[in-house]
Amino acid sequence: MSIFSFFRSAPRPSAVQAKERLQIVMAHERAGRTGPDYLPMLQQELLAVIAKYIDIDQNKVEVKLDRGGDCSTLELNIELPAREQLKSAMAAVKKPDLKPSASADQDDEDDKLAANGPLTNGGVKKRH
Amino acid sequence: MGEAPLSKIIVMTSGKGGVGKTTSSAAFATGLALRGFKTVVIDFDVGLRNLDLVMGCERRVVFDFINVINGEAKLSQALIKDKRIDNLYILPTSQTRDKDALTPAGVERVLNDLSKEFDYILCDSPAGIERGALMSLYFADHAIIVTNPEVSSVRDSDRILGVLASRSRRAEQGLEPVTQQLLLTRYDPERVERGEMLKVDDVLEILAIPLLGVIPESQAVLRASNVGMPVILDEASNAGQAYTDAVGRFLGDEIEHRFVSPQKKGLFSRLLRRSA
Repeated sequence: MSIFSFFRSAPRPSAVQAKERLQIVMAHERAGRTGPDYLPMLQQELLAVIAKYIDIDQNKVEVKLDRGGDCSTLELNIELPAREQLKSAMAAVKKPDLKPSASADQDDEDDKLAANGPLTNGGVKKRH
Repeated sequence: MGEAPLSKIIVMTSGKGGVGKTTSSAAFATGLALRGFKTVVIDFDVGLRNLDLVMGCERRVVFDFINVINGEAKLSQALIKDKRIDNLYILPTSQTRDKDALTPAGVERVLNDLSKEFDYILCDSPAGIERGALMSLYFADHAIIVTNPEVSSVRDSDRILGVLASRSRRAEQGLEPVTQQLLLTRYDPERVERGEMLKVDDVLEILAIPLLGVIPESQAVLRASNVGMPVILDEASNAGQAYTDAVGRFLGDEIEHRFVSPQKKGLFSRLLRRSA
């Protein structure tokens, strides 16, 4: 052991990382578990409606339900196809007022999604 | 023997495979019988029968659980009486059929018949969350969640807790929920102290259910299964003692948790570097 390693902070024990990772993944899973039964059906029907007008990839859709104190948010994230494809698709259905913010680059989609991704973000708020 | 038990049907479950469900079922059933309760342990792992081997009665299996469900044999013909312990019976499963042979109505009928005769019915669940596992937990009053201090096991245990809360008979019929306790197996206090393994308290904090017992990692477990003896009968072993404690706690005894911190080694054993 060199004298420098004495001053270096000890590495985080792997068990601590195990606990943190578990807490994060399980918080997500538990939230999904307590979600209402109609969520998958709602997702399918919403998709069916949107697919009537826009050619969307079923795998690039995310439906999320967040529960706050007195307010629940239903969030729908749909990745639209690249501009050229969208144009032809929209020409077919005559809906020229939809504007995707950027053309989709399929390669680094995760980064794009986080930054200014080609998403429509539909928020439905419901008080109860 | 104490008063009539409140939780007759117990499921030993985990989600994940290989964490010690069958070892724990064999040990726990034996422990309950040793305390004077008439106990039957049922193997729900259709097609992958192993409880018979762990209990050491594999050569005495003639009829099985599936035969009884299908009306091909009487319950009394399929039940195997343990040769060592009074009050202990094993109901083996089929090695040749698949899990679809477990029909809810059939399982219910067999459990009803057994509950007339037995104080405790212990259901040894298969891994996974398919039919065999669902059937083993569906009728349960009490669930023992077998977990290793390891990420995938803890996550799967949480998943099983969710299944118990939504898909058990008690959940579906709006009865009192299935009671749950954690059995933490293969615990290695020395690795925990080195920060290489989740602590008991970590697992308890994450799963948020009461602790039934901590079974230390022990060579006695393999030795016992080699010879077809429930490890609880190896009274000299840490694991055997830990299972005895767990059975006691299940029955309401107040017993302090042992084997959760490294054993202090004497000067001699340190010098000789010998381990048990």
